[in-house]
Amino acid sequence: MTDHSLSALPEGADCGLVTRRHFVAGLGATVAVVLAGVHGISIWGRNPHLALAAPPPGSFGPGAPGRTLVVVEMGGGNDGLNMVVPHAAGAYRDLRGELAVADPIDLDGEIGLHPALESLAARYPRHEVAIVEGVGYPDPDLSHFASMSTWWTGTPGAVGATGWLGRYLDGTVGATDPLAAITIGPGPSAAMVGDASFVVSIQDATGLAPRIPPWIDDMDELLGAWAGFAAAPVDSPALFGQVQRAIAATAAARERLGTALAGPAAAPLTDAPAGDARMDRRRRRPGTLAGSLDVAARLVTSGLAPRIVYVHGFGDFDTHQGQVGRHEALMADLDEAVDGFFTSVEAAGRAKDVVVMTTSEFGRRARSNGSGTDHGTASTHLLIGATVRGGRHGAPPDLGALQDGNLVHTVDYRSLYATVLTGWLGAAAADVLGADHETLPLFATRDRLPIGPR
Amino acid sequence: MTPEEQAAVYDLLDLRVRMMPGLRESAPGLHGFLTSAPEAERMSYSTRERISHVVRRLGIGARPDLVDAAASPADAIATALDLSTPPVPPPDIPAPADHAAAREQRIATPVLGYWLEQMATSPRRIEERLVWFWHDHFATSLRKVQIQYLMWQQHLTMRDHAIGSFADLLRAISRDPAMLFFLDGVQNQRDAVNENFGREAMELFTMGRGHFDESDVLATARSCTGWVVNVPGRRDRALPVAPWQSLFVPFRHDGGTKTLLGVTGRHDMDAALDIMLDHPATAETVAAKLYVELVGLRPDPATAARLGAAFRRDYRVMTLVEEIVADPVFLSDEAIRVRVRTPLEKAVGLVQGFATHPEAGRAVFAGLEAVRYVPLLPPNVAGFPSGPRLLGPHTLVHAFDFVMALRPDQPVPEAAEAFARLGVHDVSEQSLAVVAGADSAPARIALALTSPEYSLT
Repeated sequence: MTDHSLSALPEGADCGLVTRRHFVAGLGATVAVVLAGVHGISIWGRNPHLALAAPPPGSFGPGAPGRTLVVVEMGGGNDGLNMVVPHAAGAYRDLRGELAVADPIDLDGEIGLHPALESLAARYPRHEVAIVEGVGYPDPDLSHFASMSTWWTGTPGAVGATGWLGRYLDGTVGATDPLAAITIGPGPSAAMVGDASFVVSIQDATGLAPRIPPWIDDMDELLGAWAGFAAAPVDSPALFGQVQRAIAATAAARERLGTALAGPAAAPLTDAPAGDARMDRRRRRPGTLAGSLDVAARLVTSGLAPRIVYVHGFGDFDTHQGQVGRHEALMADLDEAVDGFFTSVEAAGRAKDVVVMTTSEFGRRARSNGSGTDHGTASTHLLIGATVRGGRHGAPPDLGALQDGNLVHTVDYRSLYATVLTGWLGAAAADVLGADHETLPLFATRDRLPIGPR
Repeated sequence: MTPEEQAAVYDLLDLRVRMMPGLRESAPGLHGFLTSAPEAERMSYSTRERISHVVRRLGIGARPDLVDAAASPADAIATALDLSTPPVPPPDIPAPADHAAAREQRIATPVLGYWLEQMATSPRRIEERLVWFWHDHFATSLRKVQIQYLMWQQHLTMRDHAIGSFADLLRAISRDPAMLFFLDGVQNQRDAVNENFGREAMELFTMGRGHFDESDVLATARSCTGWVVNVPGRRDRALPVAPWQSLFVPFRHDGGTKTLLGVTGRHDMDAALDIMLDHPATAETVAAKLYVELVGLRPDPATAARLGAAFRRDYRVMTLVEEIVADPVFLSDEAIRVRVRTPLEKAVGLVQGFATHPEAGRAVFAGLEAVRYVPLLPPNVAGFPSGPRLLGPHTLVHAFDFVMALRPDQPVPEAAEAFARLGVHDVSEQSLAVVAGADSAPARIALALTSPEYSLT
């Protein structure tokens, strides 16, 4: 097992003097022990519901080093029907009434993008946007929490299990690299929680830097001392051991992360086009997707090359009321975020190394409730990047054949996962999902899909 | 319910359970605790640590004065449950004149300042634990409600009922103006039924998943139609309630027949809530959730059934608390330090343990803001994160932020004293050595504050 965490840390100073460099080098050794030596004991606790032991690192193969998957989780349940609008279907306007998007940006005479998705609409003819219609799962559950769990775990109805990306990380990088998986948002995503791998979670570009008073003059020294709590960790799945492993991994990740976030690779904010003050403001504001994807761009272009960046906790897609204005703002945030992100990675020459994928626990109810939409089922998802096979995939649910007022899915969400696992992340879908699922032709081949009027 | 069904319901109901896989195991306790050798024998906690456990579970923070004063864990329990001291009157915050004024009103400082002070100092310890528990249970966020005054009014309603009857609290919160805005009750009317409140009321506030279906969601939503809030200056016509109060408006109500959980009738909100309260799963689910809050472990199926059956009789919260605390598991080694200490508990404990400067409240809330754990701003309707989710790197390092609340002229404490001021009495040699290795007071306190021992409760 390669020890990336060790090799990435600075070399120790001469023996004898306990300097910070010496300490950090020692910490590298500690982390190797803590993270690798207790394989199968996650900082998240060993999961008794998991039927199989955690897959050893490397057992799924190396994965796809150098490539990054960016997952954008639209929490609350994004309204796929108003994001990618089936404007040619007469039933759409009947169902949505005043909520119907009046002026979608037409793509092919059948569907159009929400008017706030201008830059996505510009990327679509360049074959950079794959639109997957009808994504859902059988026997849909309209609870946020049950449905989120279904999406996180990759198993409908499963609770308490590891996340699908967590299992991917367990079987590829394992605990060897604390920076392979980064969540931007409030805490690690459950989708990334594995049995052995580690997820760094940050909120914004400040990374893992606490705010301490000026009369503590050396933060590095303080945090170096802090890592000492994990110098001799308890080899146990009990919480005490989990805390120690979390401290060790955090300390190991902190400096490299800080360097990456401060690095010059990402397009600086001041490079935003003149007159685009709104975008500049959004990108600076934590808690927006634009702000979070700006951080994601810095990570991707920094040389860290994280396998997965997972963005969640921005916006509220649960538009039971006030949907018209709220959803427009969310779509505008999505559009500016994706555009800003790709502008940065393209400038850094990394466009072919990254794919953005959306998730959401469900779509909204087909019929308006008057001012918004209640919980629904199937929805539309996007895969964006220079290497995706742009165009339409899946099949639009029939608005005339609703089930209990809800869309009937045409694509199992596990097919989306399977496609990304095999087509982008270099893993066998069955290893991660427990079974094979049909894949979709979402990644670029020479035969491009026809884009435009059908 | 079979134990398997029960476990499935807990799993689905309670995010904290899902995010806290450690809880599912028989707690390995102190394996390797007092030495760094993994094979060390399991140790038992000291009496002082056991007393601290009682103080921090039945209140917020491990008030060192209370830990020192208690002669025994039983003594500490009696003190924590003692409600004989009258509550401190809340600050008098004037109602805003109209909607625009309400949106501009900035009362976070008096509101959160009052609340933080009560958490840190109120002798009515269990009341503060319960006020927090109910806020987490009926999680309502200012982010959507927007009007600080309504969040304050909801907080006062929680205080009114926190140690009273869960049935009364449920009825009060269901028509609480902040909740009516938060889960779109004000939009929910006869011709435009909005399911938001109906679904969460059954899934999160009462029975939990597995006991209702989509037709029950719709039936509850229809039953709860017709409630509005008197927002002054918003309507031409005066409503017959005081400004900022809620009101039932019959012409917006769906008076038709509904079948809810098998009961058919022309239900209104109270009828629907009564049907939910009568369902055995409501009492059992809420009782089990409070058990997890106080004990840190799930009740075994027999205990859950016993607590639920007793709770359902009258929904008296303090009776339930007393039964939970009387369970021998509460004082057992398995229950001690089996929860991840929340950022709020860390901050309150620091304030209780050390002298702070006059701006400490601001520093505490800046630290809570950094980890998105601010009272009145829960991340979603399921409440605040808990369990190993709170061990994410971002949350761990920002525990250092709370040191900003300390006075810079603290005397340098001995390592053991730094821990004891935070209510931590049984400390590993390794952790003591780390804290002793720092030479300044703030560094020592900062390290005790971020130690593995203080990260658990």
